[in-house]
Amino acid sequence: MSTPILSAHNLVKHFNAGGFGAARKVVRAVDDVSFELAPGETLGVVGESGCGKSTTARLLVQLLRPDSGSVRYEGKVVGPELPLKAFRSKVQMVFQDSFASLNPRMTMIDAVAFGPTVHGMSQSDATRKAQDLLDRVGLDPSRFGGRYAHELSGGQRQRVNIARALAFDPQVIVLDEAVSALDKSVEAQVLNLLMDLRRERGLTYVFISHDLNVVRHISDRVMVMYLGEVAEIGPAESLYSAPRHPYTEALLAAMPSLDPDRRTMEAPLAGDPPNPIDPPPGCRFHTRCSRAFGPCSTLVPPSHTVGKSHVAACHLNSVKEHVA
Amino acid sequence: MTQETVHAVTPLVRVEDLSVRFAGTPPVHAVNNVSFELAPGEVLGILGESGSGKSVTLKTLLRLLPERKTTITGKVEVDGQDVLALEGRALADRRGGVASMIFQDPSLALDPVYTIGQQIAETVIRHEGISKSDAMARALEMLEVVRIPSAKRRLDNYPHEMSGGMRQRAMIALALACRPKLLLADEPTTALDATVQIQILLLLRDLQKELGMGVIFVTHDIGVAVEVSDRLAVMYAGSFVETGSVKDVIRDARHPYSKGLLAANLVGAVPGTRLDAVPGAPPPLNALPEGCSFAPRCAHAETACGISPLPIWTGGNGRWARCVHASRAGALAAAESTS
Repeated sequence: MSTPILSAHNLVKHFNAGGFGAARKVVRAVDDVSFELAPGETLGVVGESGCGKSTTARLLVQLLRPDSGSVRYEGKVVGPELPLKAFRSKVQMVFQDSFASLNPRMTMIDAVAFGPTVHGMSQSDATRKAQDLLDRVGLDPSRFGGRYAHELSGGQRQRVNIARALAFDPQVIVLDEAVSALDKSVEAQVLNLLMDLRRERGLTYVFISHDLNVVRHISDRVMVMYLGEVAEIGPAESLYSAPRHPYTEALLAAMPSLDPDRRTMEAPLAGDPPNPIDPPPGCRFHTRCSRAFGPCSTLVPPSHTVGKSHVAACHLNSVKEHVA
Repeated sequence: MTQETVHAVTPLVRVEDLSVRFAGTPPVHAVNNVSFELAPGEVLGILGESGSGKSVTLKTLLRLLPERKTTITGKVEVDGQDVLALEGRALADRRGGVASMIFQDPSLALDPVYTIGQQIAETVIRHEGISKSDAMARALEMLEVVRIPSAKRRLDNYPHEMSGGMRQRAMIALALACRPKLLLADEPTTALDATVQIQILLLLRDLQKELGMGVIFVTHDIGVAVEVSDRLAVMYAGSFVETGSVKDVIRDARHPYSKGLLAANLVGAVPGTRLDAVPGAPPPLNALPEGCSFAPRCAHAETACGISPLPIWTGGNGRWARCVHASRAGALAAAESTS
């Protein structure tokens, strides 16, 4: 891989969940997560609720400070080597809740123009830029520019949020369930917009979603998370066709079939995902894994390289290596 | 042939020309001239986006809509009884008795200050007048039916002590406690994680077979609808636009909106390519266009689309679509096959 544009190094984030002394509870939201993003690629992030995908996104854009570990932009550690303000203009984020993301008292033109003016652009230049961007995301600035957030539909608001993220001419956009709240027909429009913008501007995306179909469609590589850890990361094609972690396999098998003749006959996993407070020892997935064996309940599985830029943290892969 | 067998038995649900209006200026036309039948033991999936009227249709079958603000016209029969004529105690007897409903969010549907066991027992006592200990025994049996592990212990749990998937199972147990003939499911798996969703879908499918219930399953997710339904109805702006067997609708959708939905669900899409997305957004329900409500978003719209009533194309096997083009294509195909 060429020099990564953005990389996460051993990110750890624990949250206090109440209690004192020995009874203190800690949510291990993100535990030792590392990955790299090549310029222009789209990394999909999937996993169930509580797996740490949103916390990872927030750490990545520095909305949260990690307990340990670092984020690097073009090799420079964000904070000591690259000031936060410069970093923010390069890496932007779009959230799931399009309404909560917008100031209810700002018109859409002002919402998009606000960021650049803070970064020193003149008001008239920023307004012109905002008009161009609204136009680019498919909202006629003369019709929508003067409106407030409550006067737009969910899809239109999410377009504004995308325009606002673009206002800094960023290199990377982190999309945290950005299309999940939209109706399917509108979601398809916004996905098309995202794919067009990626091509036009050479953008790099981190695309977080619980929808495996959508992630497969838009991503070059996919990262699967389970209880705060990376279970598997690899090229979308090989990860979907030949998963190397039983959890990835289970997630894929849990997708509803779209073929009436081949309905799902058996649920791949029983029960709900365990609580990230007090995750199981060893491999965190071993309590739900049908193929767990000896070392799984005690030894944390190392990351095995199982293919070209394809890594899976599962003991089964070390067995395969030994056999081979 | 299948069509004849369907009509030979008395339908469990018969809805004719159902319209639901909510008071307002102008009034909201939430459901418009919807007609359908459900045979006993059949599963109908109603597929639609938010505001398409799918939940309102479902709630009408139990009369759960606010009476003072709602005007319902048309005919709704469940198990031979005119639901719209029911009042007071007779109506309450139906709810949870002949027909019951499960919802998207079990933490809102269950009462936080009673245990799961108490809630199920209360329902059974109300409908069947049995003793409290018998009702508790039934509650335990129901928790086992929905495969809640260590059911006896769970009987004394409050809803907040259970995980999301477990709560959803408890709500299903509650809904099925009086062996309803009809189960109404309003997006019961939407809030669940993928691996839990499939467990609940398979459970519902098994229970439906075991108990032989009729089920109407409302969802926005085509994949979910395909997993559980025998028949599909696609709803748009308060109307059914297409119905048919799951296979027919998924493999050969005739209405442009159904086709758009399938494309948006990435059915057969090549990764990385642009999607065949339907432009625009659904019309406001208080200002529906004349004729086809989908015409303003439809790539094939023409003058004929603005004239009510729209022609209805019918295929075999209870299949139809309300679209000018589907009827024309159908007529063409018929002409070709006869010549």
